[in-house]
Amino acid sequence: MPNSPESPPGTPAAVALHARGLVRSFGDRRAVDGLDLTVRRGECLGLLGPNGAGKSTSLRMFCARLSRHAGELKVLGLDPSRDGEALRARIGLVPQDLALYDDLTARENLRLFGALYRLSGRVLDEAVARALEAAGLLERADDRVGQYSGGMKRRLNVVAGTLHDPELVLLDEPTVGIDPQSRTRIFELVEALRSRGTTLIYTSHALGEVERLCDRIAILDTGRMLACGSLAELQARHRRAPSEPSDGELRLGDPTKTGTAIRLLQQAGIAVNLREPAVGLEEVFLGLTGRKLRDEEVR
Amino acid sequence: MRTIWLLCSKDLRGWLRDRAAVLSALAIPIVLVLIFGSAMGAMGGEESIGRVELLVLDRDRTPDSARIVDALRDSQSLEVEEREDAAERVAKGREPAALVIETGFAAGTGKLRLLRDPSKEIEQQIVLASLAPALFEARGQELAKQLTLASLDWFDVPSELHPEAREVIEDTWVRMAAIAMRSGWSRSGADVAETKEAKAGANAAAGFEFARDLPKALGLEVEDVAGDSGRGNKIAAQAHAVAGIAVMMLLFGLSACGGTLLEERDAGTLERILCAPGTLDAILIAKLLFTMISGMLQLIVLFTFGALVFSLPVFDAPLALAATSFCTALAATGFGVLLAVLCRSRKQLEGLSVLLILTMSALGGSWFPLVIAPEWFRRLGHFTLNAWAMDAYQGIFWYGKGLDGILVELGVLSAIGLSTIGLASAIWRRRNREA
Repeated sequence: MPNSPESPPGTPAAVALHARGLVRSFGDRRAVDGLDLTVRRGECLGLLGPNGAGKSTSLRMFCARLSRHAGELKVLGLDPSRDGEALRARIGLVPQDLALYDDLTARENLRLFGALYRLSGRVLDEAVARALEAAGLLERADDRVGQYSGGMKRRLNVVAGTLHDPELVLLDEPTVGIDPQSRTRIFELVEALRSRGTTLIYTSHALGEVERLCDRIAILDTGRMLACGSLAELQARHRRAPSEPSDGELRLGDPTKTGTAIRLLQQAGIAVNLREPAVGLEEVFLGLTGRKLRDEEVR
Repeated sequence: MRTIWLLCSKDLRGWLRDRAAVLSALAIPIVLVLIFGSAMGAMGGEESIGRVELLVLDRDRTPDSARIVDALRDSQSLEVEEREDAAERVAKGREPAALVIETGFAAGTGKLRLLRDPSKEIEQQIVLASLAPALFEARGQELAKQLTLASLDWFDVPSELHPEAREVIEDTWVRMAAIAMRSGWSRSGADVAETKEAKAGANAAAGFEFARDLPKALGLEVEDVAGDSGRGNKIAAQAHAVAGIAVMMLLFGLSACGGTLLEERDAGTLERILCAPGTLDAILIAKLLFTMISGMLQLIVLFTFGALVFSLPVFDAPLALAATSFCTALAATGFGVLLAVLCRSRKQLEGLSVLLILTMSALGGSWFPLVIAPEWFRRLGHFTLNAWAMDAYQGIFWYGKGLDGILVELGVLSAIGLSTIGLASAIWRRRNREA
């Protein structure tokens, strides 16, 4: 059984996704190798990992597009292998590719994707209007998408995947290659989803985005879970190891003796300014996954 | 110079790595040369043209008529079959020609009739060229006499000189005919005329086509029984051109339509659609429907154009035409979608579809009538949907067939369509139904 720093699952009703020992191979290569993961309802989980870590394969299994070769998987209380059709209706996917029809207008694209999720009539009209407004595309709603900028397409890509008000949304790098304004609007869209109680799984290589948007962060590599927890938890677990002290710095080999050390220093008349070493998500990430380049083709 | 070579070698590398481009540039011409070479007889040998089917109906049943039939059977160029329904079969385009020996032929009161399908022009020339030696072999003396008499007109001999001229040339002509028979009657009469020039005048040979004038000389009545004889065989050529191009372009168009599946996959829209409930079969059926509609539209436009520009009888049998177009579009749709699900990339699809479609079009008679090709070539051609579609369209446009006359062709096209769609569907489901 692979290592799993994953928190124990809560009650079934409070769990949106529960995976245990999940395995998926492509030929001889194990893309996902015994993944354990629990996502609580209403939380936003950041899924991080270098190329080839198994993020996309995991997402495809979560949305019932790929079967598992071993392990257990429950998504929204359903088994994707058995209840794929029912599950797909309750999940929204925001793919990394701009999965839009350039020859259609934004409104036509949204109406098509809404209709595929069985929305119709006034419900569809209202959902499309809301989505266009949320994406800031009302004024260009009837222009062909091919004429849109990259940022506009990205915003449309996000609302196209959430139009049917899904319970679980899988966002696969939704902000790749866009301007800061569009990125901010996408953050607003994601935060709006969170505020409505939608469960989100968010993959990105932009660690700042994950820090900002996600309640918890899961770090994958070579198909395995390396760490999972809140940013603070990850930072606490991966504090910088003691190193040679520099002028004006005192590093303690045993952090549990900090209080004793301060008291002794103060008794000796030495002023003490206590500061924990800063550990960012990037350091945690690189510390766990290493600095070796990953150019492996991702499936 | 170095810069030029650097840029040129970059293009060469890119081209060599693009398998579709290399395939288009090298393999396709080789395949086409092979097909055309084979069809046109470039391969040489006895099978380069093949035997032409000639039906015979001997109503005279005399030793004379039997000798003619036997002589025809001995011909290297003809495949002779005696049938009561000879005339009907030629009229329907089943065989190119039929020889009817009427009752009283041996006694001089019955006619010798050649019933033809003028759309099969090359086969008619082979029939005539083969008929002449057979008739001479069977009734040489009698025919030689008739030819001698006819030759006076051919050589513009003034009527007052006819008695004298007959006397002079009679023996010579009989001998000449025997010589010519031994060397093969496909030779033009102009060659023969040259030997007579001194006696019959310099203009005697002008315009003399042995094969063309022979039937009249032999007392053979030629009758076109297939197609619109009032318009000659022009309509057959036009119908062939329109139908041939229509079917070939249909295949190109529909393989491109099928290719939109690959476009969707590359763009990511396919994955998004497949993530929606109940879309696995729906998207394939939608693509099939889209491809069918495009195909039908393409055929309607082309045939309407053919009707307006070439006066093609498009609206004479609307039901048969609609059914043929539907079945052809169905078969082409299956072909296009099957290719699309088999190929892994758009480039692969483009290379493969160009190769297959050009090969199928050449083999199946979209470019040239299969009648000019050897028998084995025609049989091979009928492994393509083009040949069956062409047969059905020619049946409608030239032979005036209705729905009941093209049921076999429609059945084959439907079978091709349904089987390829079924196969495409199975592959599609296997590849995409994961969870």
